[in-house]
Amino acid sequence: MGKEILFVVSRPPYKSENPKLAITHAMACYVADIHIDEEVEPIVAFVGDGALNCLKNQRAQEFYGLISTEQHIKNQLASDMKMLVCKEDLQRFGIKEEQLIDARDMGAEVDLEVVYFDEVLKEMERCNQVMFF
Amino acid sequence: MRLGVFVSDLRGNEEMLDRLEAEKLGVFLVENGIYHAVIKEDGKSSPVIRKEDAEYYVLTEDLQTRGFTSFEVDSKVNVVTYSDMVDLTMETYEKLVWL
Repeated sequence: MGKEILFVVSRPPYKSENPKLAITHAMACYVADIHIDEEVEPIVAFVGDGALNCLKNQRAQEFYGLISTEQHIKNQLASDMKMLVCKEDLQRFGIKEEQLIDARDMGAEVDLEVVYFDEVLKEMERCNQVMFF
Repeated sequence: MRLGVFVSDLRGNEEMLDRLEAEKLGVFLVENGIYHAVIKEDGKSSPVIRKEDAEYYVLTEDLQTRGFTSFEVDSKVNVVTYSDMVDLTMETYEKLVWL
């Protein structure tokens, strides 16, 4: 059985590198197994202020000249990565599910999963390693 | 004193901002400070924009980068461009601080 790593993003996008680092580290798991001879399954969970990363229509390329956090999330969804976002935090911010990023235009078959924080806690327990960003 | 205050984070600014007083006080919501202009946590406006005697500004470039539009901005807050903000900091406020 492979290794499961949970990346928990708890900060909003852009002011710090942390959310993007979490996503790129998660992406790197897909190639890590070549080197460690073990399958690695990354999961990303957006909680607290980190839920703000999941809003669509981010225009970072236009204003900051950066690939947006939205694009990073879309790339992972298109790779079938499991990505969770905390329902209680979305409700706290007044964010509706239709405002969330999806990667259907890239052919993704999975969406961001809106889950209660209890589900994130269960993932923390289930996964071999947990990292907070 | 005409004081301009930059707020660039979502957390940890309210207490200091509450204590600041000036003849004219302007609060510039930039970077992650823009969330104070658009997010109503638990249905309530941010405490950062509850100061009655202050003028509030939010930078449209930072707003749109994070997936918001000017239509979502609280009515107390003026939406400004980078160029507007430069004019305000050069002409309207004599001292500038960054919280």
